[in-house]
Amino acid sequence: MFYSPVITNASEAAKSDKLHLFRYVEDPDQVKVATYEQHGGYKAWRKALTGMSPEQVAETVKNAGLRGRGGAGFPTGLKWGFVPKNSPKPRYLVCNADESEPGTCKDRVLMERDPHAVIEGMAIAAYAIGCHVMFIYIRGEFNHSIDRMEAAMREAYAAGHLGKNLYGTGYDLEMIVHTGGGAYICGEETALLNSLEGERGMSRMRPPFPAIEGLYACPTIVNNVETLATVPHIINHGAEWYRKLGTEKSAGTKIFSLSGHVKRPGNYEVELGFNLKKFIYDPAFGNGIIGDKKLKGVIPGGASTPFLTPDMIDVGLDYESLTVKGSMLGSGAVIVFHEQTCIVWVLLKLIHFFHHESCGKCTPCREGTAWLEQIIHRIEAGEGHPGDIEAMDEVCSNILGRTICPLGDAAVMPIQSAIRLYRDEWQYHIDNHRCLVDTRFEFK
Amino acid sequence: MADSTKIETPARTVETVTFTINGRTATVAKGTTVLQAAHGLGITIPSFCWHPKLKPVGACRMCYVEIEKMPKLQVSCATEVTNGMVVFTESDKVKQGRRAIIEFTLLNHPLDCPTCDKGGECDLQNLTFAHGYDDSRFAFQKLRKIEAGVPSTFDDIKIGPEIVLNRNRCILCYKCVRANKEAFGEYDLGAFERGNHTEINAAPGQQVDNPFSGNLVEICPVGALTNTDWRYKIRVWLTDQKASICPFTSSGTNIQFYVERHKNRIFRTTGRRNDAIDDGWLSDVTRYGYQIIQSPDRLKTPLIKKNGKQVPATWDEALAVAAARLTEIRDKKGCVCVGGLASPSLDNASLYTFNKFMRVAMESNNVDYRTEYRRLPSSLDNPYDIAASQAFTIADIDESDVIVVIGSDLVREHPNEYLRVRKAEQFNRSKVFLLNPLSTKPSDVAALELVHKPGAEEIAISAICLAAMESGWASGVNADDLKSKTGFKKAADAAGACGLDLIEIQAVARAIAEGKKITIIAGELVTRSREREAIGAALCNLNRVFGVDGKGQMAILARHANSVGAARLGLTPDLGAGFAGALKSIWGQYPETPPQNTDAMLAAARKEELDAMILVGVNPVMIYPDREFAREALDKLDFLIACDLFETETTQLADVVLPLAGWAEYRGEYFNLEGRLQSAEPGIAPLNEARPAHQILESLAEQCGSPLFAGMDQRNAEMEKILKVDIRRPWPTGLIEVKPQPQETAPERTVALIMGDDPHHSGYLTEKAPSLVGFCGEAYAELSPELAAKLKVGAGDSVRLEAATGKIIVPVRVSEHIDNDVVFVPRNFMAAPVNSLVSRKQRVDWVKISKVSD
Amino acid sequence: MTEILKAFVNVIIKMPQGFGVTLKYLFRKPVTVQYPKQKIPMTPRYRGRHYLERYDDGTERCVCCGLCAAACPADAIYMEPEETANGERKAKVYEINLLRCIFCGFCEEACPEEAVFLGQDYEFSADNRNSFIWTKDQMLVKHPRKENPLKRIIRRVRRVYGVPTAK
Repeated sequence: MFYSPVITNASEAAKSDKLHLFRYVEDPDQVKVATYEQHGGYKAWRKALTGMSPEQVAETVKNAGLRGRGGAGFPTGLKWGFVPKNSPKPRYLVCNADESEPGTCKDRVLMERDPHAVIEGMAIAAYAIGCHVMFIYIRGEFNHSIDRMEAAMREAYAAGHLGKNLYGTGYDLEMIVHTGGGAYICGEETALLNSLEGERGMSRMRPPFPAIEGLYACPTIVNNVETLATVPHIINHGAEWYRKLGTEKSAGTKIFSLSGHVKRPGNYEVELGFNLKKFIYDPAFGNGIIGDKKLKGVIPGGASTPFLTPDMIDVGLDYESLTVKGSMLGSGAVIVFHEQTCIVWVLLKLIHFFHHESCGKCTPCREGTAWLEQIIHRIEAGEGHPGDIEAMDEVCSNILGRTICPLGDAAVMPIQSAIRLYRDEWQYHIDNHRCLVDTRFEFK
Repeated sequence: MADSTKIETPARTVETVTFTINGRTATVAKGTTVLQAAHGLGITIPSFCWHPKLKPVGACRMCYVEIEKMPKLQVSCATEVTNGMVVFTESDKVKQGRRAIIEFTLLNHPLDCPTCDKGGECDLQNLTFAHGYDDSRFAFQKLRKIEAGVPSTFDDIKIGPEIVLNRNRCILCYKCVRANKEAFGEYDLGAFERGNHTEINAAPGQQVDNPFSGNLVEICPVGALTNTDWRYKIRVWLTDQKASICPFTSSGTNIQFYVERHKNRIFRTTGRRNDAIDDGWLSDVTRYGYQIIQSPDRLKTPLIKKNGKQVPATWDEALAVAAARLTEIRDKKGCVCVGGLASPSLDNASLYTFNKFMRVAMESNNVDYRTEYRRLPSSLDNPYDIAASQAFTIADIDESDVIVVIGSDLVREHPNEYLRVRKAEQFNRSKVFLLNPLSTKPSDVAALELVHKPGAEEIAISAICLAAMESGWASGVNADDLKSKTGFKKAADAAGACGLDLIEIQAVARAIAEGKKITIIAGELVTRSREREAIGAALCNLNRVFGVDGKGQMAILARHANSVGAARLGLTPDLGAGFAGALKSIWGQYPETPPQNTDAMLAAARKEELDAMILVGVNPVMIYPDREFAREALDKLDFLIACDLFETETTQLADVVLPLAGWAEYRGEYFNLEGRLQSAEPGIAPLNEARPAHQILESLAEQCGSPLFAGMDQRNAEMEKILKVDIRRPWPTGLIEVKPQPQETAPERTVALIMGDDPHHSGYLTEKAPSLVGFCGEAYAELSPELAAKLKVGAGDSVRLEAATGKIIVPVRVSEHIDNDVVFVPRNFMAAPVNSLVSRKQRVDWVKISKVSD
Repeated sequence: MTEILKAFVNVIIKMPQGFGVTLKYLFRKPVTVQYPKQKIPMTPRYRGRHYLERYDDGTERCVCCGLCAAACPADAIYMEPEETANGERKAKVYEINLLRCIFCGFCEEACPEEAVFLGQDYEFSADNRNSFIWTKDQMLVKHPRKENPLKRIIRRVRRVYGVPTAK
């Protein structure tokens, strides 16, 4: 079987009693239901279904302080509570596996190497909201994840973890694996629902929120893969255990995808609140910058989050600490740039991505990202005009907070922070028609 | 923003909220959006993508407002008003936001206003002028969406017979796509690509040719969608708008003509939104139908038959000849010998003048307006006319939770009601049931579609009544009585007799019984049926069983623009004592001759018992359900006067042909199917020498020596008096006997013919509108795939349809929406006169169908 | 007596003075222009009859947008557009009634395509009213041509109203 060569800290996780998501990801047999069951799998699902009421499950998750791992960090238990109790309509659970944020590749590891954990988490969440049909929407390019999830789903059906009358309780649960068409916007929950319905993947107006009117206008909960994969462990070990992990407000562990100019890029599960500087330089994780160059900046939470400069990286990787520093935890993709990276070039790549992925629905994002790309392209090519930075800044502020979905915000936040933090370099580009740093991006 | 002056309150809300907007405090219904509330208060909020009849989408972001306690600007089209909300629509932040949106919108919008037909009525132009920057900061090449192989300089592509798309101009408000999907249920237009490369285009391999496609052009805020009839013809500011009424739909769609006064020419038609009738949507027939008025084929002068040949004459000559012959026939042989048919699409004045002309000047009771129906009842006191005279409100369809359509191909007959039914399903989650001999258009929103055997309408309706009684869902009547009156012991028997499953029948019965507000629509397939009295009786029983009149509405809808007016102005031969008495008191005289309806008149003419006929806007040879019968009858007449817009089969038989003015050429008043009186302004002065019908008839009467009116005031006063006569009849209190009629069969003819209008045509005149011909230019036979396979025909082949009375050869169209034992042929094309296959004696027209080998 | 003397002096002195003026002009170049044979140059901002410009490749500039007609205070311009084979808009009919025209130049100002210009010509008399309705063919400048007669005027218009420059 194909095994994507990603460095993980599974060996530490196996030794630790705190790290749970990555404990078995290096075990090639973990994808099989028998091995998964040997490792204590589907215990939580059986426990929840046979021994707990849906409210108890939701309450446990709420008490554990689990927050959404997809980017927004919304408390999961609270979200489940938004489903109307007395609606006659069916409810749906959708697992958002459309992981497309540049730099993020954590869900893929979970789906490829521990798919049953995802299914178990989905099943428990489905039970908690009273849903009988759950979907997993996987990014179309993730062929191996799709194969693994489908194989795992078939095994789970065969082993009696999914299907009709589960464990003799009379509870039915069906699962559907849906593959996306490969659009970043479909990672946004309302666009995902549109895509799942067969419509064009464009975000919807909120309210109504999906928890009230989502898939097929029925109450729908959309959760990230990692969030759901955490749920079985919370049920197994209890809310108190989970609450003790991480920091006080950001409980638990999180997988961080470390990439960029580090010696050891990979996916690492750490407790929230882990020091970013240590994360980059510790031999167990990043092991320092390539070529032992100086650090120029870090994007701590995927392409859509603001930059951190070297003097800001002595910070805990959790929701609150990063907000204080003006950035965000996002989806936990730490992208590191060394001193010889041209920041304009980086921004050009980022804005090109967002321009390409803008769905085209609302005006500011559709037109603004294209305009920004053209301006940055001009600056990068050494043809910048004086006043371009100000124009860019104004375009950014015209997009920020004025679009339907967060893609517009995501596109402009790194630009705004880059202008704020690295203004000299932009100015140098415009004034001198060339890069401040003498070499371009190098991977060595 | 003229179309948004009304605050639309969602149905069934009584709760209100109070909020402050620009310092004014106002109370609106809960659920109202900020934008609607503001428009209602006379505060304009600019927007591109908002449309009063579509769900808000929030794509253009132009309608920003600032709301206290909300850090970001909010889009007012999707933000509902809440209690205590404080809204600012003109703060600096809002103005800045709008300016930014205009700037973004214009980034890739070509500044080709000089060549753009929207110039002068373009939302983007207006809003840029009001809110935009003077100059652009965008210093890059504008995006150009080019398609290979399109020779157009401006990258225009033709996406439908009438629609030209310029994707560069599109500002992606998605209004067209949304209207197509939400309001019309059509999927032939969509958005493709992503980001600022997004483009609107026809679905792959398809054309935008749905029956409502013209609306997409009308709602486009920029010149991205233009229609070919307006494109590059004239500037909007050179035209005057004239309010008119659609003559092709019975609901009286409100339209306006764009007229260039000096050229005396109409350039296009758009809607005048009337929420009670049309919601601002126009069917393409309504939109492009004006073109027939300006057709070069119009009759130019009166024609007189001399030595068997029609030669042009002056009006004076023609009227003199006509009057002389008419007086001669009237006086010499007695007035039974003059008959008259008028079109139910004429205006009130014309119809009334016609009535008075026939009854006073010609002293004859041979007056009728129903030319296309079989077996007309002798008097109006029959179940059919009772059901047809019921009150009906179009707007109430919206709020009905159960809608049943019986014997009506809605989209072809009643486009406005069709859209209402769709809207009710979309916005009100109404349950729609269709009961037809063929699958019809709103089937995609129907909860259940029941396709019964052809010619079994009344049995199906009886089955519903019986099923409700058996299951105890309705208890309005005595069950045994119902059984004896319907002639069936059990609902299952009736269901079997009409070819439906009992379970389907029960579902409909249950829905009607449980519905809180019900609309039951019956249409042309009922009216055109030979057994319409039996169907009417079944409908009366349905009303009794379910008590429909107590919780909703049920009516057989009129088909023509002024059918209701014709009935109310007494254009039927036997008016009954009350109505006749009223007329006598107004006129001082009333003919004593035996009343003859269309059938009787034509039969008498065939037997040479009728000597003269006057046809005003009617073409019996084309629409009477027996072509040869009508032709022979008219041919045997001593004297025939035909007034029409065009030369037709009927005018060819006439001794005197008078060119008639169309509805767009004179002022007229029309009753729509609800009985709503609407007036139409003249768009242009009559072309050539055409004259309005009432004018022709008045001069004719004058020449005959019995002038009708001293002046217009007298005519109007008389009409006013007549319209006070109530012709509505109450539902019968008891059950009526429904006699199931045996269906005629002929062994070699196995397929039932259903004729009706093509969705892009109406009647026999729309063939003269080039745009409508662009959509559908010739008759066709719509077959099911199975039947087509059996006959070994496909698209492009032709089939021969044969009946005892005649045969026609038409090309094949294969449709999924039709049953195997039915073939649909449009009746709009003179080249394929489908009424030659029809017999006035039959209920179901069975035809033999065979492939035409080349 | 003195009055007679005065009159005599006047005749002797003033009359030659007066004739002197006449004599002086006899030898000067006359200001009278022999009009039909001879024409005076018009001022640069003189507004005469209209020209319709072409692009350098010979295609007509006018797209028949109707703005000149809309701007015309005398309602002297009449036009009908048509569509060319490649979907361009151009004037099928473009007529200016020079009897109605007040030569205000608003059309020139309104034109977004720089198609219509008021030239220096002022000779368009005719013996019937119909001849004063100038058609497109009459107004369209010749093509190809060596020297654009309107170049100077275009330069002047651009100087006055500015040119949209590419930034």
